[in-house]
Amino acid sequence: MGRTAPTYRQALEERMKRWDEFARLLTTPEERAAFETLRTGARRYAAQATYVGSPDLLESILLSVLLDLARRLPVDPPGRPAAR
Amino acid sequence: MDGAAPTADGWLLDITESEDGRSVVLWRKERASGRVRRTAVEFRPPFLVEAPRADLAGLARRLAADPEVASVERRVLAPSLYDRRPRTVLEVTPERNPARRALARAVDALGGFERYRLYDVDLVPPQLYHLAHALYPFAPVAGQGAELTATEPAETIDYVPPPLRVARLEVRIAGERRGRIPPPDGRIGAVRIGEVTLEGREEELLRALVDELARSDPDILLTEGGDGFDLPWLYRRAHALGLGPDAFSLGRERAPFRPSRRARSFESYGVVHHRAAAYPLPGRFHIDRENSFLFDDADIAGLVDAARLSRLSLSTVVRQSPGTCFTAMEMAHALRGGAHVPWKKNRPESFRRGDHLVAADRGGAIFLPPVGVHDRIDEFDFASLYPSIMVRNNLSSETLECRCCPRSPIRAPGLGYRSCTRRVGLIPRTLAPLLARRTAYKAAMKRPGTPPEEVARLKRRAKMLKWILVTAFGYQGYRNARFGRIECHEAINAYARRLLADLVPVAEAAGYRVVHGIVDSLWLRPLDPDRPPDPEAFAREVSARYDLPLGYEGRYRWILFLPATTHGLGVPNRYYGRYEHGEFKLRGIGARRHDTTVLVRRFEGEVLALFRSARDADGVRALLPRALARADLFAERLRAGAWPVEELLVAHRIGQAPEAFVTFTDSVAAIRQLADAGARRAAGELVRYVLLDRRSRSFRRRVRAAELLVGDEEYDRAAYLDLLARSAETLLAPLGVGRAELLARWGVAPSPEREEYRSPEATAQGVLDGS
Repeated sequence: MGRTAPTYRQALEERMKRWDEFARLLTTPEERAAFETLRTGARRYAAQATYVGSPDLLESILLSVLLDLARRLPVDPPGRPAAR
Repeated sequence: MDGAAPTADGWLLDITESEDGRSVVLWRKERASGRVRRTAVEFRPPFLVEAPRADLAGLARRLAADPEVASVERRVLAPSLYDRRPRTVLEVTPERNPARRALARAVDALGGFERYRLYDVDLVPPQLYHLAHALYPFAPVAGQGAELTATEPAETIDYVPPPLRVARLEVRIAGERRGRIPPPDGRIGAVRIGEVTLEGREEELLRALVDELARSDPDILLTEGGDGFDLPWLYRRAHALGLGPDAFSLGRERAPFRPSRRARSFESYGVVHHRAAAYPLPGRFHIDRENSFLFDDADIAGLVDAARLSRLSLSTVVRQSPGTCFTAMEMAHALRGGAHVPWKKNRPESFRRGDHLVAADRGGAIFLPPVGVHDRIDEFDFASLYPSIMVRNNLSSETLECRCCPRSPIRAPGLGYRSCTRRVGLIPRTLAPLLARRTAYKAAMKRPGTPPEEVARLKRRAKMLKWILVTAFGYQGYRNARFGRIECHEAINAYARRLLADLVPVAEAAGYRVVHGIVDSLWLRPLDPDRPPDPEAFAREVSARYDLPLGYEGRYRWILFLPATTHGLGVPNRYYGRYEHGEFKLRGIGARRHDTTVLVRRFEGEVLALFRSARDADGVRALLPRALARADLFAERLRAGAWPVEELLVAHRIGQAPEAFVTFTDSVAAIRQLADAGARRAAGELVRYVLLDRRSRSFRRRVRAAELLVGDEEYDRAAYLDLLARSAETLLAPLGVGRAELLARWGVAPSPEREEYRSPEATAQGVLDGS
């Protein structure tokens, strides 16, 4: 109804199909599991990416994936603790 | 009204169009006798034509010569809501009311469909009569005949509705069970009307029905499927027996029987619906529960309220969407403010840059909930958030980006759309009283001492208003909505998104952590579980700070946020839990869906009954073994073939015309079976069937349609075990339960979700390996 631009979630899923093609040629279970982590990370922050409404889909996806990885890193003492 | 208001001695029930096409009929119920009086009044409302100055004289001459035109007058008015400068327009009165639209189309054609603007064309004469005479449906009135005065305004919140006599009507075909496919020449064997059941020879039966209607004189005939079956069948048989409108009529007037609207299929939010033809009766309301979107929620109390506010007949309100009511309310406010109702929306969407579209064309903020079992979570909801935002920020098609306020401080976050600061828009004018009304109803419901039947009535009215308020937002983005404008829709979403984002730090400062949020709802967890913040105080503080009503829904003893089967992350709108005040809240599970089998409903019911005793998340986890034992029990009975087939009916709404299907599915098999038995189904209708052999390619053997059930069917055990496993997975996935493991446990090979992709190499290898 009336929607012109696809939602971020729709655009993301469309892009994920391309990622699937990439994953087909991965040869070890470890790589596949790591790849799955990236994919989950991209989806985890769909709400935040939608909120930004960036015209650059890849920026939003990469930001989501990076944040998902960064939140697993130990936090430097001067920074505010990023406890979940 | 000046001086003392006259006292009402009756109610105006309805206004209908008269058969002669030149008048309307007022139906007034007398308070003392309870009788309904009919008065016909000549009424031919004009419509307006706005044309370039140079065209006016010629057009007026041309129209005056048209035999379909009664009169053409010049008037100086400011018809447009968007441009309030007065101009000369033509006021065209048609010779006959039914010719209104055709005449308007002809005028529009004369202007090449773009030179002229037409106003007030598609309001119906009864609606215009109400508006022109300060009347409304169910108004308490003083006076007689055509001289009626409403003794209180339509917007009155605390009113006494007229007493309405309701009679159920049900037709039975001789020798047939209801729900079967009636033979085309099926005789009527019995009719139930109110408390009376009529039987006997068909012609006498029909005459007895007319006598019974005259005797008990109900105001409302209530049917289950009357538009699709009971009413047309009654008239069809009356016609076959040679009974004309003089001998057989169900209304309060002897009028020929014809549908006011034909049956049709339509799409709404991605779902195809089917609506039966509508058969209104003059002077008497026919409510078909199956043909009414609103009846089940709003009941008569809510529908009466909507009719009063929209000036639409109850017959119309009951069959239309809340959007139609809202549009009619807007029209009433526009006319009252001196503007007129444009016939076509001459406001195309302007061209915009792609990146702007990406930024603007977005909905509310929706988080992904953390999958799992949680406890001690407080839920908060904004009441009527979107309508409140519209009122608060003066969002309306004519007040957004107005010319008069280039420096307006009211701007949509991120988009910058300005709102007018000098006049209040049509949408806020329409919505503000509705919001106040809903708040008043809710307050009255909670007031101690309100009698329970009054609470029930208020609840219905509040529910009806809720639907109308919800549509008010949707209609901003709908291309056919009369006063809608897409930028309004976008602005509302932008305000709502910003609000939710603003609330994240506010909640944290109050001692909460945000767990989940959907558009206008928040789920918060106390940072310190032993000293949780005061939720009521938090709601009050936020309400005051943002001038928007945040309500505290309650604290969850436990709540499960459920994952998507595809990627395992949370699904925003799929969860269930139990509040501390005892109520359950279920979203997106089987019990909330129309296509669920009784089997799945029963299973869910048992799991919920089991979890009822859990005091917290650990309590739920501890009950998992018992939930699985229930699933095993269900599986055992299913596998034994002992489950009654009526509980295995799957319902499916047909998404397209039956002949348009290209793949062979369960529902296609059912549709073919029904067509074979002489019962065609249209897009949007439901088919219900039992799965007999899901792998069969024969439409006879794959399923059995509900209408054709005999009772000795052998159902497809593997298919139903799979259905049960899916249901268990939906409910229990956060506790580690998966469909594949359940099926393995019950000894069933899982049917693949869809074909796994196999590369050409893998396929070739498979051939070489002989698999």
